[in-house]
Amino acid sequence: MSENLPWIIKYRPRTLEEFVDQEEARKTFIAWYEQWKAGRPEKKAVLLHGPAGTGKSSFVQAFANSYNLELYEMNASDYRRKSDIDRLVRVAASTGSLSGRGKLIFLDEVDGLNPKSDEGGVEAILQLIEVSKHPVVMAANDAYSPNIRSLRDVSLLIEFKRLRETAVVQALSRICEKEGIHCEQEGLKEIARRSEGDLRSAINDLQAIAEAYGRVTLELAKALSAYRNREYAPFEALRRIFNAKYIFQARDAISSANIDYDTLKIWINEHIPTYYDTPEEVSRAYEALSRADVYLGRIIKSGSWDLLAYAMELMGPGVAFSRKTYKGKFVKFTYPERFRLLSETRKAREIRDSIAEALARRLLTSKATVRSEVIPYLKVIFTSNPKMAAGIAREYGLTEEMVKFLAGNKAGEVLSYLKKPSRGRRS
Amino acid sequence: MSEQPFLLWAEKYRPRTLDEVVNQKEIVARLKKFVEEKNMPHLLFAGPPGTGKTTLAHCLAHDLYGDNYRQYMLELNASDERGIDVIRSKVKEFARTRVAGDVPFKIILLDEADNMTADAQQALRRLMELYTATTRFILAANYPSKIIEPIQSRCAVFRFTPLSKEDVVGRLKYIAEKENVKYSEDALETIYDLSEGDMRKAINILQAASALGEVTVETVYKVVGLAHPREVRQMLQLALNGNFTEARSKLRDLMLNYGLSGLDIIKQIHREIFSSDLKLPDEARILIADLAGEIQFRLVEGADDEIQLNAFLARLAFMGRKFKPT
Repeated sequence: MSENLPWIIKYRPRTLEEFVDQEEARKTFIAWYEQWKAGRPEKKAVLLHGPAGTGKSSFVQAFANSYNLELYEMNASDYRRKSDIDRLVRVAASTGSLSGRGKLIFLDEVDGLNPKSDEGGVEAILQLIEVSKHPVVMAANDAYSPNIRSLRDVSLLIEFKRLRETAVVQALSRICEKEGIHCEQEGLKEIARRSEGDLRSAINDLQAIAEAYGRVTLELAKALSAYRNREYAPFEALRRIFNAKYIFQARDAISSANIDYDTLKIWINEHIPTYYDTPEEVSRAYEALSRADVYLGRIIKSGSWDLLAYAMELMGPGVAFSRKTYKGKFVKFTYPERFRLLSETRKAREIRDSIAEALARRLLTSKATVRSEVIPYLKVIFTSNPKMAAGIAREYGLTEEMVKFLAGNKAGEVLSYLKKPSRGRRS
Repeated sequence: MSEQPFLLWAEKYRPRTLDEVVNQKEIVARLKKFVEEKNMPHLLFAGPPGTGKTTLAHCLAHDLYGDNYRQYMLELNASDERGIDVIRSKVKEFARTRVAGDVPFKIILLDEADNMTADAQQALRRLMELYTATTRFILAANYPSKIIEPIQSRCAVFRFTPLSKEDVVGRLKYIAEKENVKYSEDALETIYDLSEGDMRKAINILQAASALGEVTVETVYKVVGLAHPREVRQMLQLALNGNFTEARSKLRDLMLNYGLSGLDIIKQIHREIFSSDLKLPDEARILIADLAGEIQFRLVEGADDEIQLNAFLARLAFMGRKFKPT
């Protein structure tokens, strides 16, 4: 049974002794817990925050085991049900416990609370903290999400940092030993380096390589992480650009971004308004990106790669220093809508292109011109005059699909004209 | 009976021979000389869209080779076939064979040539030299300044001027009468105003308006309104109200669902800026026009449509606080 467990569960630390790294967070947390036991703590709740895979949830579980506490846990997917919160409120408000052990209340992923669909969720948690007779622990990737401002205000903030590389290697070696797998130290280092302090992803990588090849070498590690990198790189690059404190950091972030500039600019384009709040900052950042984009265009047209330096400076420092004051905040960077929309509208665009193809040669013009100058008027004809539309469809050999594209909800009428046999030759 | 094949008027009423061309008189006269002599240099046709560059190239070829002229002419469009490799292989294949007949060369028409990169133009210049014995190039371009100097100097340059109001209205009247379409004079003049001297566009508007019934000023405006989505104005309004995020989603809608290019959109924005439906102080209109011009220039230089228009909208959202529409 346990053979099939994902390693991130199988090797989750049972106790604090097994828990690696995060010394500072550990100390602060224990001090806070001691306050609780002694009577009244300064803050009734703590908010553990930090990037994914830095051990927030694992820490809470290990702590509960080490201190022999009953753990009452809830995560983002439960918040919607008021009954769950109510149950937890009852637990928190009562001093007694069946086993006679102390209790620990743990609310994971509170930044996943949706202000719309989980309406009242934040209030319910505030209420819970208010009445609780037991320590309340919350965890979030982004402590500065506006959704949870009021939770932040009543909590002691404890930061979980990205793990040190040596700590990741240490954790990985221990797993290799227990699994009896031969692991090259250099391979583990490579996995650790690429994980950038995310132990969960490092363990997942380790398992993927070990299960596929029965051993871990530097080469195997490189091959796998190169594959992962493609999806991972933009997030990291964005975080580093927007949060750069000094010019050199923003420049580094661009030059070591590991993705091509044309992709990176689309990611930045997507996230300028995610990161900046004021219209002035948004406008300045876009102006910098826009100038960078102009340089990239000139490079392609003229072949002057000398210009790349300017493009990079505007794309990195230019965008980063559009802010009026340094904020340094966590923002959830998501996959650009543009890529998603492009794939969703692909079918329609293909049809449009095939119409353009059918007409361009006859109208002696480019497909691009047909798309922008002819198709809009065809749409007017197809939606308002089904007879003329049917005639045009016949003349230019438009398919049913194309007619539907042009006529929208009038397609039925056009098609019914089209299906009658043609009488007579061309007009 | 209308389910019979029905030609688009832009195709049906295109002149087939140089004699049928009613405008660009000086150019037509010079082209007729080439037909007489059965010889011509490389040509560069420069001028705004819809002024007859491509049509005249076809008329010239028709007059040189007769009705089957298209077998003696290779048509390439640089906006559709940007890669020089495609162009090179097609040109090579086409130019290899000699022509039988009394015209000793074939024609390669390279339309929208200003969309070629500088590298591709350099390569094209070599092709022009290489195959000069068997082929003549006709390049058509909106912006001759974007054609590199060595190509310009190898071509006889013809500058096409925007069509006059009389030419456009006269042609529209001719078509309307042939097609038994009811129309008002005002309506045809309105079409001219809206089409900015672009004959192809004028004819498209006329045909679409006739699809609605009688061609009146109202139907013309209706057609143009339908063809140019209202989203452009809504997008501007959102941006000016400081709502950048929604303005940006409108922009995406225009690009992906309406299939408009960045240039299409910025040109429509330009039309909207001075419309009285957009409530703005006049000094704001001028600032926005200047900004729109800059963005259009950047787009023509090859920048990314969405990034440039986002920059424009973000600036509007910032400016809009000063010029809060009342």
